[in-house]
Amino acid sequence: MNETRGYHSGLVDNTTGLISREIFVNDDIYAQEQERVFARSWLFVGHESQIPNNGDFFASRMGEESVILCRDRAGAVHVFLNSCRHRGMKVCRYDDGNTTVFTCPYHGWSYGTDGALVGVPFFREAYHSELDRTKYGLVEVAQLCCYKGTVWACWDASAPPLLEYLGEFRRFLDLILDGWDGREGQAEVLGGVQKWIIPCNWKFPAENFAGDTYHNISHRSVDLVGAGPSGRSRRDYGELSAARRLHVAIPDRGHQTITYVLPKDHQPRAAYQNSPEVAEYFRHCEEERRRRPGINSRLIGAPGEIFPNVALLPRQPRTLAVWHPVSAHRTEVWRFFFVDRDAPQAVKNFLRDYYIRYSGPAGMTEQDDMENWNYAHSASRGVIARRYPYTYEMGLGHAVEGWEWDGLRMPGRVVELTKTMASEEPMRNLYRRWAEFMEADSWDELATWRRDGAAAAKAAE
Amino acid sequence: MSGIVNVRDLAVGTRVVLGSGAEVEIVANPGDGVWVFGRYLAFGDEPGMVGTEEMIFAQDVVEVRG
Repeated sequence: MNETRGYHSGLVDNTTGLISREIFVNDDIYAQEQERVFARSWLFVGHESQIPNNGDFFASRMGEESVILCRDRAGAVHVFLNSCRHRGMKVCRYDDGNTTVFTCPYHGWSYGTDGALVGVPFFREAYHSELDRTKYGLVEVAQLCCYKGTVWACWDASAPPLLEYLGEFRRFLDLILDGWDGREGQAEVLGGVQKWIIPCNWKFPAENFAGDTYHNISHRSVDLVGAGPSGRSRRDYGELSAARRLHVAIPDRGHQTITYVLPKDHQPRAAYQNSPEVAEYFRHCEEERRRRPGINSRLIGAPGEIFPNVALLPRQPRTLAVWHPVSAHRTEVWRFFFVDRDAPQAVKNFLRDYYIRYSGPAGMTEQDDMENWNYAHSASRGVIARRYPYTYEMGLGHAVEGWEWDGLRMPGRVVELTKTMASEEPMRNLYRRWAEFMEADSWDELATWRRDGAAAAKAAE
Repeated sequence: MSGIVNVRDLAVGTRVVLGSGAEVEIVANPGDGVWVFGRYLAFGDEPGMVGTEEMIFAQDVVEVRG
């Protein structure tokens, strides 16, 4: 009999590569992970380009909960729980806008853009001026960090700062946030955010974007159609024939990605030939990027996942996706698209057309993925199906540390895909970290690098 | 007409009377239909409140003076 009620160790077994279907379909485990994973992790909330002016706001989410990202009247960025302190009603029911106050429509309590409770109906008459309004401002996140325009927040005051949380994985996020020519933090959000709901657990898309190269057969039809910017294949990746393709997994952080490494002194290949203006823009950017110091000039970004629920797609299309949990069986996807903010409008228009052709609810490639996730989830919910774990044995034990090529050293555990084509190292890494969050009672246990660093320092004394 | 004041329509500079009898000039209107920002022109037996600004709740506004 399958008596699983909630999480227990053994559901994720990284020694055998077997992972129970329960972690995807079990309602009790889903409820536990809201507290143990989402309430303790750094989560992506939005981008500063969405709130350029004082009073601007963008209604976002953290886990299941609605939050308000806003810039107050003095220009400071905040993230608040979107819930009135009186009876819990949402105080902001718009997707975005500009305001002086967030007013609860239920009883009329009103909050400034700095979160302070500024209006209480009948304060003198009904409350006899006795209510301490300073105690009832909007609930603000414990930690907030703006990094190259992106805004991240965390409910846990004991979590490490964002940059420590990202660790050496930061360079892969930079591939989205820096300009195509390598200048720091040049990205802006293009248009609105695409939002839609898919009937599967949030971990299905998370593991797919962690670095699943094995499922490329699913996109065969898109390859045949030629959805890429130049009308060939899916992307303009001409330089890949000279690159080495890797899986990179950061074990103590739970982040992972696919990436491509170019040889030293590689010269850019022609791309975007269907539009001379776009082709010229990217030719110029690629040349500039190669002139800059640092290893990112030799990296080509590809799908990756920042633990727990933020997916990277740094190059084509250039997007971040957030897999917001709704229930064990439903996920709300938010996809943000990025361009260089000072790119010519013709380039932005060209990329927008390509992005939505590729990604989002109507994107050809995303539709392929959703079909897989949806039916994999529904076919795993039954009592018989739950008895049979998924296998993540591919490439088990074949990752290496200290991978280096031509003077470029890669962090974490690396599998070279140039020959092996696929591995499940990224998925094992994701679920190893997920299990650690489910079992650890505090960040003292989760921040293993601090413990290891302290031990190393003591040994060196 | 209901006779109820729709505070969303109150432009900056409009003078209104509150249920308490206080008279207020509108200084800002967020347009949410629930609150306006006002400056007291008269405040019954608390003259010290005259000139101060406060958020005014929609249900407190009973008359528009123009």
